Amino acid sequence: MRGSKYSSLIIKQIGIFILIIVLWEGLTRLGWIDSFFFSRPSLISVRFYKWFTSGTIYAHIYMTTIETLLAFIIGSFVGVIFGLLFARIPTLAHLFDPYIKIANALPRIALAPIFALWFGLGILSKVAFGVTLVFFIVFFNTYRGVREVDPNIFNNARMLGANERDLFRHVFLPSAMSWILASLHTSVGMALVGAVVGEYLGAARGLGYLIAQAEGVFDTTGVFTGLVVLSIFVLLIDLIVTLVERWLLKWRPEVSSS
Amino acid sequence: MDMPRSTAIQFDGVTKRFVTPDGNQYTAVGEITFEIPGGEFVSIVGPTGCGKSTVLNLAAGLIFPNHGQITIFEVPLVGINRHAAYQFQSDGILPWKTAEENVMLGLQIRRVPVAQARNQARTWLVKVGLSGFENRYPHQLSGGMRKRVALAQSLIVEPEILLMDEPFSALDEQTREFMEEDLLDICTEYHKTVLFVTHDLEEAIALSDRVLLLSAGPGARPIGDYRVDIPRPREVADIRLNPSFTAIYRDIWERLRGEVMKAYERK
Repeated sequence: MRGSKYSSLIIKQIGIFILIIVLWEGLTRLGWIDSFFFSRPSLISVRFYKWFTSGTIYAHIYMTTIETLLAFIIGSFVGVIFGLLFARIPTLAHLFDPYIKIANALPRIALAPIFALWFGLGILSKVAFGVTLVFFIVFFNTYRGVREVDPNIFNNARMLGANERDLFRHVFLPSAMSWILASLHTSVGMALVGAVVGEYLGAARGLGYLIAQAEGVFDTTGVFTGLVVLSIFVLLIDLIVTLVERWLLKWRPEVSSS
Repeated sequence: MDMPRSTAIQFDGVTKRFVTPDGNQYTAVGEITFEIPGGEFVSIVGPTGCGKSTVLNLAAGLIFPNHGQITIFEVPLVGINRHAAYQFQSDGILPWKTAEENVMLGLQIRRVPVAQARNQARTWLVKVGLSGFENRYPHQLSGGMRKRVALAQSLIVEPEILLMDEPFSALDEQTREFMEEDLLDICTEYHKTVLFVTHDLEEAIALSDRVLLLSAGPGARPIGDYRVDIPRPREVADIRLNPSFTAIYRDIWERLRGEVMKAYERK
């Protein structure tokens, strides 16, 4: 029952995709839409095919992947550490509260020029940029995860003799983990945003760089093909995140997929 | 018999105040004095909100008295009560650990080698009737099974004292009776001292050697200390038909009802 409903939904979704492509192609061919600004699905497919067969795209994908991964790993790690510390040491949280708020409210894009200055136009500035985005998401979720531990579970562990280290390992970290993982999609997405935006602003490689380059020479087909590659890239990353989440949260009654 | 009959828990003029959200002081329990010899099963009953759980938390060392002193096995209690295990009203077991991992937690904390801890956990899961459920997560277990995991988790560290806060109140009648029987068997076998909080007078009498009746709050204190002279081993299911059960029940209920009325009037 559910399966057939699901598959009919899929068919409709694919239908929408085909409709858009046909309209796009048709309207640009008829000249109702200017293909200079909007390119054309057929041109994009050809370019897409060329990028992958000639192999030029792989270096860019590789660069963006590395930047995203590094930003995600470093940002998460630092975020978890600080989240745990702030949650368990209230003085620290009170002391730094205004600064955390300011730093989080600051539009991160404004930091891009200074990061370019500090870290150059290489991989480091993109990673640093992504880290500032990922850090706060993970930090706040860890903080919340620790603060919202069921007091019964906390007291139970204490009665069993847990010291602060045991509490971290058996109670706070797993509890925070469910919060962190709930925000995993967002934080991975932010790491990617950091990488791509960083590449727009100045780089020698990467998907963001590729799109910015094409835009620089009014190559809209290049821009759209870059966007298509980026979309597929995002979908793949999201799929991996969902799998990781499902595996790590297997103790939970139901894992939300959104 | 072979156990020392020293005093397991002693409250000496213990008062606990809380600061309410609007900044006032609320005296939860006032000037409480009682004594529980080792190996005794004592229940605390009283009207809702009278501070039964406060007494338990004080005995656990999770909160500290404003006045008075608590002594555990003749030693003044400072910090967490290392002789005691606590059974919480709602589950205290960790949802991210399997039944087996939950049971072995206390041993892990005591740095027992993992293999050994796992073995002991298996043994305890068998004892509480959960063999075959080692790898289930709490959400995959029924309420009664979770209670059994919690019980095994507490008992594996061999506490001399069990503190129980309405542990079976969320269970259905049949499951509850089974759990009560098992608890009595375990307490008899391992000679535990138990401080058991419940709002259910029948349960209190069926399980206990003694029932302490707490007055309505604020400043709740024991106003009755009843000895239950029903021989052990007991059958929880049949005990309600015992004539001395009915006598004690009527005795305690008369006073308890008065306190319940008082508690309602104050609200």
